[in-house]
Amino acid sequence: MLTTPKRRGPAALATLASAALLLSACGGGGGDSDALQILVVKHPLTGPMEDMGWVAAIEDAAGVPVEWEEVSADWDQKKSTMLAAGDIPDLIVGTNAVTDADAVTFTGLFEDLSDDMDALPNVQAMFEAVPETELMATRPDGEVFSLPSYRRFWPQTATRQYVNQQWLDNLGLEQPTTWDELHEVLLAFKDEDANGNGDPDDEIPVDWSPAGETGFGYFQPTVFLGSLGLPTTNGGGSGYFVEDGRVGNFLTDPRYMELVSFLHDLYADGLVSQEVMTQDYSTYQSVGRGDGDTAKVGFSWGWTASDRFGPQIADQYAPIAPLAADASMSAADLAWTYDSYSLNYGLNTITMSAQSEKKDAALKVIDAFYDQDLSLQALWGEFGQNIEDLGNGAYTVLPPADETLDSSSWKWTTTLADNSPGWIRDDIEVTLPVDIQEAVEDEAPLTDALANIDPATDIWPGELIKMGAEDSSRLSLLHTDLLGQAMQRWATWITEGGVESEWDSYVEEMEGLGLTEAVEIHQRYYDEYRASLE
Amino acid sequence: MTRPFAALRRDTPGDIAFKVLLGLGCALVLFTALYPIYFVVIASVSDPAMVSTGQVWLVPRDLSWFGYEQILADERIWNGYRNTLVYALVGTALNLLVTMPAAFALSRREFRPRRVLMFFFAFTMFFSGGLIPMYLLLRDLSLLDNWLVFVLPSAVNVFNLIIARSFFEHSLPEELHEAASIDGANYFQFFLKIALPLSMPILSVIGLYYLVQHWNDFFTGLVFVRDYDLQPLQIVLRDILISNQAFSGGAGGAGGAGAGGYAQQYADQIKYGVIVVSTLPVIILYPFLQRYFEKGVMIGAVKG
Amino acid sequence: MTAATDLRPAAGAERARRRAGAGPARHFRRQWQLWVMVAPAIAFVAVFAYVPMYGLQLAFREFDFAAGLAGGDWVGLKYFRQFFESPQFWTLIRNTVVISVSTLVVGFIAPIALALLVNQVLGRRRKQFLQTATYLPHFISVVVIVGMLQVFLSPSSGLITRFVGLFGVEGANFLGSATAFVPVYVISDVWQHAGWNSIIYLAALAGVSPQLYEAARIDGAGRFSIIRHIDVPALAPTMIVLLILNMGQVLNTGFEKIFLMQNPLNLEVSEVIATYVYKIGILSNQFSYATAIGLFNTLINFAFLVVANQIAKRVSNTSLW
Repeated sequence: MLTTPKRRGPAALATLASAALLLSACGGGGGDSDALQILVVKHPLTGPMEDMGWVAAIEDAAGVPVEWEEVSADWDQKKSTMLAAGDIPDLIVGTNAVTDADAVTFTGLFEDLSDDMDALPNVQAMFEAVPETELMATRPDGEVFSLPSYRRFWPQTATRQYVNQQWLDNLGLEQPTTWDELHEVLLAFKDEDANGNGDPDDEIPVDWSPAGETGFGYFQPTVFLGSLGLPTTNGGGSGYFVEDGRVGNFLTDPRYMELVSFLHDLYADGLVSQEVMTQDYSTYQSVGRGDGDTAKVGFSWGWTASDRFGPQIADQYAPIAPLAADASMSAADLAWTYDSYSLNYGLNTITMSAQSEKKDAALKVIDAFYDQDLSLQALWGEFGQNIEDLGNGAYTVLPPADETLDSSSWKWTTTLADNSPGWIRDDIEVTLPVDIQEAVEDEAPLTDALANIDPATDIWPGELIKMGAEDSSRLSLLHTDLLGQAMQRWATWITEGGVESEWDSYVEEMEGLGLTEAVEIHQRYYDEYRASLE
Repeated sequence: MTRPFAALRRDTPGDIAFKVLLGLGCALVLFTALYPIYFVVIASVSDPAMVSTGQVWLVPRDLSWFGYEQILADERIWNGYRNTLVYALVGTALNLLVTMPAAFALSRREFRPRRVLMFFFAFTMFFSGGLIPMYLLLRDLSLLDNWLVFVLPSAVNVFNLIIARSFFEHSLPEELHEAASIDGANYFQFFLKIALPLSMPILSVIGLYYLVQHWNDFFTGLVFVRDYDLQPLQIVLRDILISNQAFSGGAGGAGGAGAGGYAQQYADQIKYGVIVVSTLPVIILYPFLQRYFEKGVMIGAVKG
Repeated sequence: MTAATDLRPAAGAERARRRAGAGPARHFRRQWQLWVMVAPAIAFVAVFAYVPMYGLQLAFREFDFAAGLAGGDWVGLKYFRQFFESPQFWTLIRNTVVISVSTLVVGFIAPIALALLVNQVLGRRRKQFLQTATYLPHFISVVVIVGMLQVFLSPSSGLITRFVGLFGVEGANFLGSATAFVPVYVISDVWQHAGWNSIIYLAALAGVSPQLYEAARIDGAGRFSIIRHIDVPALAPTMIVLLILNMGQVLNTGFEKIFLMQNPLNLEVSEVIATYVYKIGILSNQFSYATAIGLFNTLINFAFLVVANQIAKRVSNTSLW
C-alpha cells in the first residue's frame, strides 16, 4: 500500500545537525587580550590598516601590540548595539564615529579625557593654538569625551557655483549677476540649442542636489539666500542663522519665501530639471557628466568643476560669483554658505573607553595621532609614497602613484584621510594636491561674499556648541516634525507654486510644531557661547 | 505532471476561451517577471551612465565587464561563498529537523496542549525583546563571533512551523493514522515512515524558505559578528557594493570630495552585478527542489 | 471557504478527543512521543525569543545606560503618551494603514491567482519555467528595486513614463507624486513577491488527487468550474492560515523600501510609523521611545491577529491555536 520511504534524508539531517550542536563548544570570541583594541571607522574606499606605512609609528607609540578592527559599512547599525551592550574596544577612531548624542546617552561608557590632559601634550598644544578645537571637544560641564581634528587647508565653503561658459559663448551671452539675468540666461539655454548638438530640447538649464526630508545641504539653491544678504552654514541645515546677535530660522523668514517664489518661477518656465525633487545623488552627478563631450546642464553647484561635471567637460564650466537678488543689492551685502567649521575640522574623531585596561597605551596612541608628521600622514598618506618631507616644516603632497586614480580617490584609498584625528599646524608649508587646489581656485569668485561673513557674529556655529542631553533629544523630536513639514512645502511650492498664498498659514503651522521653542533653545546656547568668548 | 485533461476530445467554447485567457495571462506574467530581470542582466554589463539616463532597455550599450571584474577580483568573496554555503546547509538541516517533527506533533488533534503551544509560538512572531537583550544573551552563550550564531537562534521560524502544521493537519488523512496504529506503529514510526514521505512538497517548500532565509541573512553577520573570516557572502557583497557607491556627502562629510569620480561611475554597474552573483546559486537550485513537488501526487494516490 | 471544513477529518478528531481521556499521567504515557517531537522547538523559542523579552520593559522605563537595561527609572506610559500626542500621530497611523492594507489585500490575492494560473499550464518544463521566472524578482534587493523604479519611472527618460505617454499622459512624475506613491509601492511589491508567495499554494495544489479531476471531468465540468470547485477549495486551508497571519500585519510596513522611496513630494503619504521611528528614535538614541512605539505597533497587530483567529475559528473551524 505504501511505498518504502527513503530514510536517508532524515538520517543525514540528524547527523548534520548533531555535528553542528557538538561543534558549538568550540569557537567563541576573544582575540589577544594583551593587545590594545582599536576600532576604525573608515571610508569604504580605504584599504586595510596594515597597508598604511604610518600605522607602525602608532603601534610603536602604544608600546603594546595593537589589534585593529576595521568598519567600512553600516557603522550606525553596528554601533547602537555595541554601545548599548557596553561592548566597546579601547579606542574608536573616525569622524563623528561616536556622536555627541552617544556621549550623553551612554553615560560612563567613555573616558573623560579632560582628566588626562597631562598625558596628551600634543592635544593640549592644539587646544591652545586652535581654540575652536577646544570648544568642539568640551561639553557644557567641562567633560571631554572625544577629540576633534583640524585640517587647516580646506576652503571655506563646499558649494561653488558654475555656469556653462561654452553655452554662454555659443549664444553670445554674459555671465549673470542677478536673479533676473540668470532667469534670462536660463530661458536662452532652454529655448536654443545651447550645447550645439542639433537638439534644442536636451538642455537642462539648472539642476541642484536633491534635498531630503531632513533639511538642506551642500549644492542646493539655499545659497541664493545669500543673494538677499542672509548667510547660511553647511548649505542651510535645519535653517538656523544669526543676525545681530539673535538666532533665527530662515524656514519662516520672508526672504526664504522670496527665494521659493523665484525658484517656482524658474520651475514653471521649465528651467529646472524635472527630477530635481526625486533624483538621488548618483543620478544628479551622472546627469551632470553629460554625454561624451556634450554637456547637459547649464547652471549648477558642486565641489569642484571636475568633481561635479567629470574631467571630460569640466573645462566648459566657469565658477561665478554670488548673484544679487536684484540690482539694488550692494555687493557688500551679498553672502554665501560658510562651511569652514565642517570642512577644516572633524568632530569627535577619537574616543576612548572608560573601562580600558590599557589606559596608558591608549592615551599614548591618542597623542601620537596629533603629532605633526603623523597628522599629515594620516590625512594624506605615508611619507615617501604620498608625501615628500622637504625638511624645515615644508612638505609636498605627491600626485597619485596609481595613474588611474584622481588625487582625491588616491588619498581615500591609501589612508584614513578626513576620518583621522590630527592637527595640521598653522606654521608649516604644504604644497597641496590638485583636488584641494582646484577647490581653492574655484572659490575665488566667492571670496568677497565669504569675506562679508564674520564667523564670530554672522552665522549659527553649530559645530562649536555642545548641547545637554535633554535639549538635544527635545530638538531632535521637534526637528523631525518641523523639517518634515517644511521640506514637503519646499518641494510642492517650487513645483506647483502657492508660496505667497499659503505663507501665513504655514508660518502659523510651524509655530504650532514648536519652531519658537527650538529657536529659543538655540538662542540660549548661543548666548552662553558668546559669553564664553568674552 | 499528470494530465487531467488529456482525455478531453473536444473543447467547449468555454475551454477555448479559457485557453486564450491562459495564454495571454502567462505571456503577461512572464513578461512582467522577466523583463526587469533581463534589465538587471544587461545593466550589469552596460555603461552605467547609459543606464541611469534611461538609454539601456533592449540591448546592452557600451559593453563593459568592469563590474564583474571588480566583484570577482575580491578574494573575500570566495570565503563568503563558502561560509554562506555552510551556514545555509547546516542551518536548513537543523531547521527541518526541529520544525517538521514539531509541526507534526502540533497537528495531532488528540495532542491537547497544542493550542497553548501554538499560542506560545505565535506570540513570538509579534513580541520580541529587541536587539540589545539579544546581543547580551548571545554574549552570555558565547555565540558572538561564533559561526553557530548563524544557525542556532534562527532554528525555528514560527511562520514556517504554522505552514507545515497546517499542511499536516489538512493533507494527512486521519485514516492513515488509524491504520498505522492498528498495525502497531507509534508516533515516531508513523511520522518517519508515513507522514514525512507523504509531505515532500511541503518539506521542499519549507526547506526552500529556510534556505533562502539563511542565504539572504545579512543582519546576523552585521550585528553579532566582528571576525571578518566568519562573514557570509551578503556582508562581503555589501562591502564591495558600498566601496563603489557614489557618496552623497560629495564634498561633504568632511570633504569626501568626489571620493572617486571613478567610484561614482561604476556604483550602479557593480550593484547590478552583485544581484546576479548573489542570486545565481539559489536560482539554479530551485528546479531541483521542484522535483519533490510531484511526489505530492502520492498523497492523492493514498487518499483515493 | 467553508469548503475547507470538508477536508478536515472531523470524525477522526472527534474520536481522538474521546480517546485522549483524562489525567496527566495517562496523557504522558500515550503522548510522550509528541512531546519529544515538539520539545526542541520549544527549547529554541524559549531561549532565543522569550529570554530576551525582558527588554520590552524599556518602553516603560527611561533608558539609563549606567543602570542597565532594566534599571532605568520607571516612567509608565510617558513614551506612549508622547507618541499619541505627537502632531504626526494620526497622519502616521493613516499612512501606515493605507500602505499596509493595500499591500496585504493585493499581495494576498495575487499569489493565489498566479498559482491557479501556473497550475493550469500543461507540461512539466513549461510549468517549471513559468514558476521559476515568476519568483526570480524576489531575490532583488530593495535598494536595487528602488533604483530600478527610478530608472523606469523617470519623468524624462523612463520606459514606463514613455509608455503611458503613448496614451496621452505626458510627463507623469510617478515618484514625485503623493497620489502615485501607494500604487507604485504596492504594484512593485506584488511584482516582486507574488511568484515567491505562490510557491506554497502550488505545493498545496500538487497534493490534489488526480482522481478528483477525473471525476469532475466525467461529470462534464469545464475548466473554470474545476478551478472553482476543486483547486480553490484545496487552497482554502492555506489561504485561511495566511489570511489570519496577514491580519496581524495591519500596522506593519516594510521600512527600507518606503524610506528609500521617500522624497519631499510624497512625504505626506509616505511617512509611516517605521520611518518616523527611525528618524526620531534610532538616529538620536531614543531607545525608550523607539521601544514604546514598537510595542504599541505590536499590540495593535496582535489584537488584530487574535480577533482574526477567533473569527476564523467560528467561521471555518481553522485556527492558529
